[in-house]
Amino acid sequence: MDDNKQNRTVIEAEVPMGTVHPAALEPYRLRLFVEDEIVRDAEMTVGVNHRGVERIMEGLPVEKANSLTEKICGICSNSHIWNSCRTAEIALGIDVPQRATYIRIIMEELERLHSHLLYLAHGSEVLGHETFSMRLFYIRETVMDLLGMIGGNRVQYGSAVLGGIRPRCELDEMRLQKITEGMDLLEEKITAFADRFVSDPMVMSRITGVGVISQKDALRLACSGPTLRATGVARDLRREMEEYDPFEFDVITQDDGDVKSQLLMRVFENFEAIKIIRQAVHDLPDGPITNRSWEMQDTPITKSYIEVPRGTLYHSYALEDGRVRNCVIRTPSLANIGAMQHACIGYHITDAQLSVVQCDPCFTCTDRAIEIIKI
Amino acid sequence: MDLIYSLIAVIGTLVVAFIVSLFLPGIERKFIHARIQQRVGPPITSPGIMAPLKFFFKQTITPESPMPRLYNALPLISLIIVVILLLLLIPQMYFLGALASVIALVGFLKVEEIMYMFMGSLSRSVLSVRMPFPDKAKGAAHPETTQSFFEELSSLRAFRLIAFGSFPVYIAIFVAVAMSGSIYLQDIITYQQVHGPILFTVAGVMGAIVFFIGYMILLNEYPFAILKGKPDVVEGPYLEYAAKYRAYVYITRGFLMFTLSTLFATLFLGIAPNILNPTFIITIIVALLFPMLMAVLSAFSPIFTYKQFYPTVAGVSIIGVLAIVAAAL
Repeated sequence: MDDNKQNRTVIEAEVPMGTVHPAALEPYRLRLFVEDEIVRDAEMTVGVNHRGVERIMEGLPVEKANSLTEKICGICSNSHIWNSCRTAEIALGIDVPQRATYIRIIMEELERLHSHLLYLAHGSEVLGHETFSMRLFYIRETVMDLLGMIGGNRVQYGSAVLGGIRPRCELDEMRLQKITEGMDLLEEKITAFADRFVSDPMVMSRITGVGVISQKDALRLACSGPTLRATGVARDLRREMEEYDPFEFDVITQDDGDVKSQLLMRVFENFEAIKIIRQAVHDLPDGPITNRSWEMQDTPITKSYIEVPRGTLYHSYALEDGRVRNCVIRTPSLANIGAMQHACIGYHITDAQLSVVQCDPCFTCTDRAIEIIKI
Repeated sequence: MDLIYSLIAVIGTLVVAFIVSLFLPGIERKFIHARIQQRVGPPITSPGIMAPLKFFFKQTITPESPMPRLYNALPLISLIIVVILLLLLIPQMYFLGALASVIALVGFLKVEEIMYMFMGSLSRSVLSVRMPFPDKAKGAAHPETTQSFFEELSSLRAFRLIAFGSFPVYIAIFVAVAMSGSIYLQDIITYQQVHGPILFTVAGVMGAIVFFIGYMILLNEYPFAILKGKPDVVEGPYLEYAAKYRAYVYITRGFLMFTLSTLFATLFLGIAPNILNPTFIITIIVALLFPMLMAVLSAFSPIFTYKQFYPTVAGVSIIGVLAIVAAAL
């Protein structure tokens, strides 16, 4: 009661945004409690686009369930199918051929490139810089073409299958050559963009010192992925994944935790992704792309975590007669919602959407049935 | 005969201004924004002609507003004010005396600005409507706060623009007054016919820069689009306009572009808009150049918040004051 009274005296007005707002492109509700256009508190809610993928997966044959996970996200569809297959592979003890692992990593890093470029384009749009946004979409087209070439689609490639990758996604000499050329072109274009971006005083004025998430807050709010790394915490799950062991790459961090750090974080991560793809193309081993020598059996709930463009993706399920049971999926944006709310506070209302977008939200994917446990 | 001549000049100028103004948004978007952004862009007639035409034939819906009829009338009132502004600039109307002075022009421009405030305060779009879940549900943070609409925010910003944001354009107008020593348009033009265009003086150049920034602010163009910025208030005061009322909004914007350019040509080049005078072509060129320059600047700028807006307006206003001092010396 006392809290409510206190709230009434502190908060002057509320500006609700969403669940439909042109700057957001995602179905979420952001309530901004403002005083003279400065955000004093924020409340973010998801839940208007719940699709119940886990419920649909319940009882499906694992191969079908894997394909369904791709539909969770239009941006990181490959991450979902890879992690879903990985969950079953861990449970069933399937050895994935080295060549298939390399191709999966190429797909994942291409997806990281396209996700980060999309993030930068969306960030530029919310910043009000349409030209930067358009240019980033052009740069991204190179990646989309490569993904389309390998998977046959621009969005859902369906490359990972149990035990390896789909034959359609096999990389021949011509494809490898195209990927190499694509990486050269991307590196050149992203470098030119980054130079132009950081030398623009108006853009820097809009993004420096805005939407700051301190390292302490980021850890307290259990942030994940680039959002956490932009506050200076060098935590990247790829360092712990055995699939990434043969590859050399740096874990990029930024110190300030503001919008500038978040944007530059993704720019620099793009170069690391290019580096990994080049290594994978150069060292691509010969051999089969699928291991068919495995048998279905019942397994207890098995968990798999991977580092996807937005952070840590979690899949878990049990297998019973070849069918999926008790599936749980947690997308990285779920971990970052707290940071998004927190980042708005204390800044101008125009910067509020920017503060949310800096954490790379993907709410349609995040819309899962969850139970919040107070620690 | 003189009366017919004057009527032809006034009506002809208005008609040509109207036709040119219909193309200005298309030129801005097709030849500047789209070219800079390496895309094809819309057909040149699309934003200025086809879009209003389309909206004229759409079904009119009642806007969410406490006074829907007044709200719907505001774009038309704006259009009338802009037409009056252009009329007052035409030499055949200089017989109106004090109405053909910069004081009257400033007054009408202020009324035009006030329209945004009214529009904002009279709109209640669905985008800001409170939801039963979770806004009012148990557990929601601050369930009893006063709810604001985006448009209210725009209205407050329009008030701030009236208070300080439009300083540059008014200061720039008074550069011409300080130089010519008169507030009457006729005297300002006569002064320039004798001494040459004000634009070709130091004070004139400074004034022109200040005027251009003020032109962008009055048109709410990026980076100064705080009234209708996509990241927060979306379309702001225009949010609830539909059908023919939205068409009026589009037409008014194009016409305001032309009128402000004409004002510049009158005050800084000494060329009044008159279709029967060959110099009218310069007026049209200025009217084409201004949106193009504006489009270039807006294509390379993010939207400003107050943090950038206040210093920009203050800095530009100081340049304007210096220009007035230089003109008076």
